Amino acid sequence: MPNSLQMPTDARISLADNLRRLGAISLFIWVFFFWGCRTEHPYVQNAVFKDNQEIVVTFSGPVDEAWANNRANFSVYEKAAPDIVADLQAAALSSDKKKLSLRLAEPMNRENPHTVILKEILAGGKSLGTASLTVAKPYIGTLVSILIGAMIIQNFVFSKYLGLCVFFGTSRKKSTAVGMGITFTTVIAFSSILSWALYQFVLKPFRLDYLQVVVFIGLVSLTVQGVDTIMRKVNPKLFKAFGVYLVLVIANCIIIAVPLTLAQNEYNLSESLMLALGAGLGFLIALFLMSSVRERIEFANIPQSFRGLPIAFIVAGLFALSFMGFSGMSLF
Amino acid sequence: MDPSYIYLALGGLALLGSIGVFFGIGLGLAAYKFAVEINPKVEAVHGVLAGGQ
Repeated sequence: MPNSLQMPTDARISLADNLRRLGAISLFIWVFFFWGCRTEHPYVQNAVFKDNQEIVVTFSGPVDEAWANNRANFSVYEKAAPDIVADLQAAALSSDKKKLSLRLAEPMNRENPHTVILKEILAGGKSLGTASLTVAKPYIGTLVSILIGAMIIQNFVFSKYLGLCVFFGTSRKKSTAVGMGITFTTVIAFSSILSWALYQFVLKPFRLDYLQVVVFIGLVSLTVQGVDTIMRKVNPKLFKAFGVYLVLVIANCIIIAVPLTLAQNEYNLSESLMLALGAGLGFLIALFLMSSVRERIEFANIPQSFRGLPIAFIVAGLFALSFMGFSGMSLF
Repeated sequence: MDPSYIYLALGGLALLGSIGVFFGIGLGLAAYKFAVEINPKVEAVHGVLAGGQ
């Protein structure tokens, strides 16, 4: 009798394979988060709001007390209004000389990011240069609000009326709807990252942003064709599941709207990814809702002239009305 | 005409050209590396069948 605890060889290989894949994904996620969270000066670990009158700056080593106690070395202002400098009431250094707290005379609005200037940081008698730090509320809140905003509040289908051809074409059955939604989310995430990189590193520096539409369309086609070619070999099962939807993705307007939005709003990498995921998941939600209704409508007694697409348009309009309930909602 | 416009136009041509070359080579390499053998009979049978859709 074989030992039931011993794993068969191929199962072990696939486990190792999966672990490697998991490692690669988590590495990517970490890189992605730290991209958004680095500070602007190597000696400064972070700068956060303590309450609405105090900012705490943490250094990675001790700084000189005489420098820290001189209020003239620091200035604080709202990032959007650099000429209105806040009055500093006190500057104090913690006992381990690593934490500097700056107390303001008047409360500040923590909704807006603030800039803290530390002139000529002195540590052990050596000057480490001037630091200009941005203090803002936790970044994850911004990311989540971009995600939820693109997914529900500003749903691309129901509040911007984009991607309607594919939306009506593939929402007849739940299985097709979910297949299309998942394929779309995958492709849009890839193509948005590519177009973000191309926009930030090529189009913007060389002042070629007038070509963004052409370039983004090319990128979308590249992503779709690339996913098609690679998936066919690497994962034939998933390729079969994607089926014809993969080609349909090219004809979707949302996939070109997202790169244009992120170029216009100057999003960074993590914000772009959140917008893309939000748009994809929002499309998935819209397709799923629509297909659930259309499966039932098949059996309903509808006037002859409304059968098929006309009633689908009316249903989409009703969904859009109900999604209007989310408008004006703000998170964090 | 202002020479900066000419530079912009030339830059655009260079960008689109290089993107085309780059993407073409990339897709070509991908197609070569991830080539999947398809039975030629499948195509032949499809060609003989009536193609309504």
